[in-house]
Amino acid sequence: MALDPHSFQQYLHDPRVWDEMYDNGSVRSPYQKVFDFLQSISADELAKKEELARRLFMSQGITFTVYSSGEGIEKIFPFDIVPRIITGAEWRLIESGIKQRLKALNLFLKDVYHQQFILKDGIVPIDLVYSCQHFLREMQGVSVPYDIYVHIAGIDLIRDSDGTFYVLEDNLRTPSGVSYMIENREITKRIFPDIIPQNRVLPVTHYPSILHKNLVALSPRKISSPNVVLLTPGIYNSAYFEHTTLARLMGIELVEGRDLVVENHCVYMKTTSGLQQVDVIYRRVDDDFLDPLVFRPESTLGVSGILSAYRKGNVAIVNALGNGVADDKAVYVYVPQMIRYYLNEEPILKNVPTYHVAKPDERKYVLENIDKMVVKKTNESGGYGMLMGHMASAKEIEDYKKEILKDPRQFIAQPVISLSSAPCYINGKMQPRRIDLRPFALCGPDGIEIVPGGLTRVALREGSLVVNSSQGGGSKDTWVLA
Amino acid sequence: MLSRVADSLYWMSRYMERTDGILRMLKVNHHSSQDDREGFTWRPVLQIFSTLEEEKIREIEYDGPKVMNYMVVDRNNPDSVVNMVTRSRENARSVQDNITKELWQSLNGFYHKMRQDKLEHALRTEDPMTVLDSLVRQCMLYYGVADSTMFRGEGFGFMNIGKYLERAIQSAEILDGRFSNLSYDMEKPTDTTYWKHLLLSVSGYALYLKRYRSGFEARNVVDQVLFNIDFPRSVLYSLNQLQRYFSRMKDDRNTEGYAKVDFVIGKVRSKVQYSDVQSVSRVGLHPYLKEITSDCYEIGNTLNQYYFANS
Repeated sequence: MALDPHSFQQYLHDPRVWDEMYDNGSVRSPYQKVFDFLQSISADELAKKEELARRLFMSQGITFTVYSSGEGIEKIFPFDIVPRIITGAEWRLIESGIKQRLKALNLFLKDVYHQQFILKDGIVPIDLVYSCQHFLREMQGVSVPYDIYVHIAGIDLIRDSDGTFYVLEDNLRTPSGVSYMIENREITKRIFPDIIPQNRVLPVTHYPSILHKNLVALSPRKISSPNVVLLTPGIYNSAYFEHTTLARLMGIELVEGRDLVVENHCVYMKTTSGLQQVDVIYRRVDDDFLDPLVFRPESTLGVSGILSAYRKGNVAIVNALGNGVADDKAVYVYVPQMIRYYLNEEPILKNVPTYHVAKPDERKYVLENIDKMVVKKTNESGGYGMLMGHMASAKEIEDYKKEILKDPRQFIAQPVISLSSAPCYINGKMQPRRIDLRPFALCGPDGIEIVPGGLTRVALREGSLVVNSSQGGGSKDTWVLA
Repeated sequence: MLSRVADSLYWMSRYMERTDGILRMLKVNHHSSQDDREGFTWRPVLQIFSTLEEEKIREIEYDGPKVMNYMVVDRNNPDSVVNMVTRSRENARSVQDNITKELWQSLNGFYHKMRQDKLEHALRTEDPMTVLDSLVRQCMLYYGVADSTMFRGEGFGFMNIGKYLERAIQSAEILDGRFSNLSYDMEKPTDTTYWKHLLLSVSGYALYLKRYRSGFEARNVVDQVLFNIDFPRSVLYSLNQLQRYFSRMKDDRNTEGYAKVDFVIGKVRSKVQYSDVQSVSRVGLHPYLKEITSDCYEIGNTLNQYYFANS
């Protein structure tokens, strides 16, 4: 029998890595239906489906624009057609683990910007917090509605070789990617009709309505229809598609900094019938750019005076300002302690073992074992400023060591965690690629809700462990089974 | 509605109207160039729809394929169809939450079609008429989708204001461009195909045949393109629509802006409403048309100032 090029017969996954579909050469049962289905269609059909997916992304404008030589080129965030599956039992663990973590992180933010018990009790080192670039003294003593700081969290999870989930990082500022959770599902509905209901996949489409409900609840003015807006940096931002999608799905106005003005400590938007007061701002602009009077003076993306309106409680801002102190990669080390301190519970989801290079003994260990480590900058995200010890050249390591010694506070190190692999349809063949998982948790006055699903990011380059879209990553539709 | 959004919807719509105008004009001119034995000139098209300098016009005015390329796919020509569609789509992209998904997809589809390399190739090597027709269909799709899916709110109002303002300006300019060849003399006898092409380029030929039984006369053409209220591309029809959509913008919160814009629209509309071919020939067709277009630009400026917050 001739080998069908798209079949799994040539699928070779690394036995030291947890593969999502295969277990010792046999297909894991949650994947059986998808596996059978993929086997039942011809290579031509599969190629056609991939092409259909590409066209759908393009025609619906699910793209970002790369500007070069004055001309915009539309790019698609690469999408792999094979879905990633999470069982109901796995999901319940993830869900309870994230809820627990988020609860503790919210309490930490409230504490650190008010009485600072956790610092006084010596659980989290005080110098660590005060040396964090994202710790905002401007937030000290500011009360936020319902004491919620993190309204939207995108907590990144990975799976080690035995299948255990670990938290890789907490994104508590302006996590992105949720529109791909929604759109990837829509594309799957088109390319694999009827397969989703056959597998009893839980829907994700209600995410925008939960978010909208939470945003409305934060309005400082208790009026029947508060004015909720989404603040975007504008059409040149690579996540602009996500901003328009969320605004459209929630039916709220998409605004830019230049559409807003602060008068007498209230925020207004400029409309065709004059100024109209704004109650809640879901901002996708970073803290640094939000108010040129307080932060970067050259920012044209923000609104002058918005921080004063926020501090007065005249406008709610989502996520709160200053959250960066809680998702700093060095503060991350202390999240398990926070859970024990605030909740008196054992953490459900584990942290990846992390060495804080500022501590002399840990620094010594890291420098000696750097070839087995991933070293990251504490204040960077998106996969920038990282050293993958096992792949770097001797010179890269030497240069990086010098960087570390200049300012150890700025670095953490983790052992190379292998990340699970999943089958991807690449160049007409099924091939294993490394993946992670970012579920999106929403925290509102009624508690924390997590839509069953998330963004599965894929490191598309063979052997790569970096899934960030800025570093050649793609994504998959993520199914949580009922 | 946000002022910026209103501004973008207005321009999205103006650029599409202009795209449609250019495409029709190119079609008709291409067609008539195939009939011509005395060296067909593209001069009027270039004068109305581009900002080319006289010297450049002289260079290409007798070269159909060059003009076609310049006006449709040349990205260095700010007034080419590809650039119009790109700008329209860019405006739409920034207001996606204020238009329907269908409308966004129709514009986005048009944009991707304009950027295919094979378009330039087809225009050069295949029948240009087929290519232009396929682009005109994209415009029709846009109009149809806008009409059948857009919610009848403020946004739809600003889209129509942009559309009809652009249309009024275009019809006046087409008339002006064509008559400049005749030194604006309405009595001068001309080849009937000349009028036929003018009317075809504004989709007014069939109506003309039904309405004016005495054959082709310059004064009847002027009457139709300026004053015929049954003709959807006449200046008066466009201004009436403009007034109709603007009157829905009345709002207690912007009475000053409303009054200012209402005034300029009313002024130019009455000027056209209460003119006829005789009164136009007394003041001269050219000065009359110039006055109408400059009044139309004033409407745009006033909207800019009072509704789009671009001051």
